[in-house]
Amino acid sequence: MADVATATVLFDAAGMKAIGAGLAVGLTGLASAIAEKEIGTAAIGAMAENEALFGKGLILTVIPETIVIFGLVVALLIS
Amino acid sequence: MLKPRQMSRVLVVGHKGILEGTVNALYKTNLFHIEDFIEDESGLKIGKPFGDVDTLSQKLIKIRSIATFLGIKDEACNTQKADAVMQKLNSTLDMLEKDVSSKTEKKVEIESKIKELESLRRDVLPFVGIPLNLDLYRGYESLAAFAGVIKGEVEAEISNITGSYELFSDPKSGSIVLFVPKAYADAVSKSLSGFGYRELKVPDVAGMPSDILSMVESQKESLLKQIESIDSDVIALKSKYLDFIQASNEMLSIETAKSEAPLRIATSESTFLIEGWVPSDSYRALEEEVTRATDGRAFVTQQEIEHKDEPNIPVEYDNPKIVRPLEEIMNLYARPRYKELDPTAIMFLSFPLFYGMILGDIGYALILFILALLVKKMVKSDAVKPIMNILIYCQISTAIFGILYGEFLGFPLASLEVHHGSEVIVQPGLIPGFSTINLFASPFGGEMITYPVHRTHLVMTLIVATALIGLIHINIGYVLGFINENRKHGFSAALLEKGSWLVIEIGILLCALGYANVLPSVMTYAGILIFLIGFVMLLKGEGIKGPVELPSLLSNSLSYTRIIAVGLSSIYIASTINNIVFEMMWPDSFGIMTVFAILVFIFGHALNTVLSIIAPGLHALRLQYVEFFGKFYEGGGRKYNPFGYIRKYTEEK
Repeated sequence: MADVATATVLFDAAGMKAIGAGLAVGLTGLASAIAEKEIGTAAIGAMAENEALFGKGLILTVIPETIVIFGLVVALLIS
Repeated sequence: MLKPRQMSRVLVVGHKGILEGTVNALYKTNLFHIEDFIEDESGLKIGKPFGDVDTLSQKLIKIRSIATFLGIKDEACNTQKADAVMQKLNSTLDMLEKDVSSKTEKKVEIESKIKELESLRRDVLPFVGIPLNLDLYRGYESLAAFAGVIKGEVEAEISNITGSYELFSDPKSGSIVLFVPKAYADAVSKSLSGFGYRELKVPDVAGMPSDILSMVESQKESLLKQIESIDSDVIALKSKYLDFIQASNEMLSIETAKSEAPLRIATSESTFLIEGWVPSDSYRALEEEVTRATDGRAFVTQQEIEHKDEPNIPVEYDNPKIVRPLEEIMNLYARPRYKELDPTAIMFLSFPLFYGMILGDIGYALILFILALLVKKMVKSDAVKPIMNILIYCQISTAIFGILYGEFLGFPLASLEVHHGSEVIVQPGLIPGFSTINLFASPFGGEMITYPVHRTHLVMTLIVATALIGLIHINIGYVLGFINENRKHGFSAALLEKGSWLVIEIGILLCALGYANVLPSVMTYAGILIFLIGFVMLLKGEGIKGPVELPSLLSNSLSYTRIIAVGLSSIYIASTINNIVFEMMWPDSFGIMTVFAILVFIFGHALNTVLSIIAPGLHALRLQYVEFFGKFYEGGGRKYNPFGYIRKYTEEK
């Protein structure tokens, strides 16, 4: 029975909220990273050819950043 | 402001006899953007360069290679008289070239010698432990010599094969030298291979290895000294001829540009015809200068700008001096087109505003402000200066928001009462006696709006507030887009493509207010109707692309919540550092831990300072580039690049 008691303490509302918030930031962070990785490499490749593309490259690279920002906002809303 | 400088299309025509005078006059004004002539069916040909361009450019290449060798690049120096430089150009250039090339050759020679010595040293090193003259390793008729590295004791094995052998070994490096009669060479070689024998190359020199090593070292040292003396010669040469080299580089560049100018100009048998662009307000000055230089024999006229010329019109910013640094940020994206609005002045307000809203900390603002001022003072580069000016603008806004938020290096300035259930905890502030004042209740999340604004306790309210700021910013974008579109394609296109978004927004707003019973509920239906009208307008204006873009209205304005999100992450990093230092590490009495804690404090905040440039800067920039520019900006204008040069190192007469 002691186990159930500890479990309830661990999984009380505040704990679950914290886990949820962590997941929201962590998973969206990973998603942004995966998306930005590919765009970033392509953007750097393009910049090596033509340096004037820096502005466009930067924009395209940071577009997926919105994903993690949404994650962060959701995390703030949860906690 | 908000509009690139107005340009006039100018045509200069005259007899070929006055071409050189005309080109000189145009060059002097530094106003005329030459439209390069491309040969077509008109029968006109490109002109022939003046004078001996080949010699000029050869000299230019020489002077530039000398400058590269001496490491001269755009350094401050005294200005020179152009005539004086011209007079001594040939002799000094020859002398310099000889000097520099002999020095280069000598340096290369010495460097290759050093490389040889190093490889000899590598080869000799394994034999250092064996006191045997290297000459004794070779040249035997009946003896076989083995020199190499092995693992383990080999002597017993060898003595089994033959009694007559001579073995030298160095247990430290594992290298051995073994002499056996040639008859036993094969058997010995087999048994050696059982010990992992690896043959070493015996250097082709005579003498004891240790002597050779010390000889190598001393020779290398003297060679290094020679290189040093060449380097100091180079430095002396550089300081002596710095003025001359920079002046002659500048002068030759000018001469080459002038004499190559006819290659960009249309000529017939006896006339020339130069087309180009001049800022309209400087047209008179150009006309006067050309007339004066040619005694009125050249014909200068303004032409009407046709619609098809528009993409070719060079674009020059026309902003007040204070706004000008922001042009760098515009160039990073794309220069505006000629008929387009130039949003630099808007960026001047919104970029530092967003940066400040994100960072909002008096401490970091002060640090970065001082840093930017110092860099601006120390680095005399034209590329760095505008960036530092932008940073300074951003820090001013950061300081203002820092006062609003009451934050200093992550510490709150004012104390705050926090209700934890029935408990009331007072979080202390940095300034004693300064406590937070409650202003009014926020309509969101049951939060209380206070002064100073504690961002960590007003998350919900600030999320909504930043999204609203975003909505306003985006709508400014739509209005600008409307103006642009109106100029380019007329009112109806502007109304359908950009105005439709405003109609849709009004529809959604009415609908939401009606639904929330703020307005009479009939407004809900009116809102839906207006939304549908806007939707149809959008469909007509943008095609199927429009409705697909519709959700971006939501995602774009939510994207502005990054202002609070990134700001919070910066606060948390700062307050974590403060926590570590003052709660966890700070000892009761002064000691080594105190020093350590101070170090953590300094390094932690230094790290966050660097992040404070990158994170808010990039996010503020992105909000401009993606969310704002996406609504109206196209860019891609040609740079206004006048034919001429502002002399830095030389002066005429």
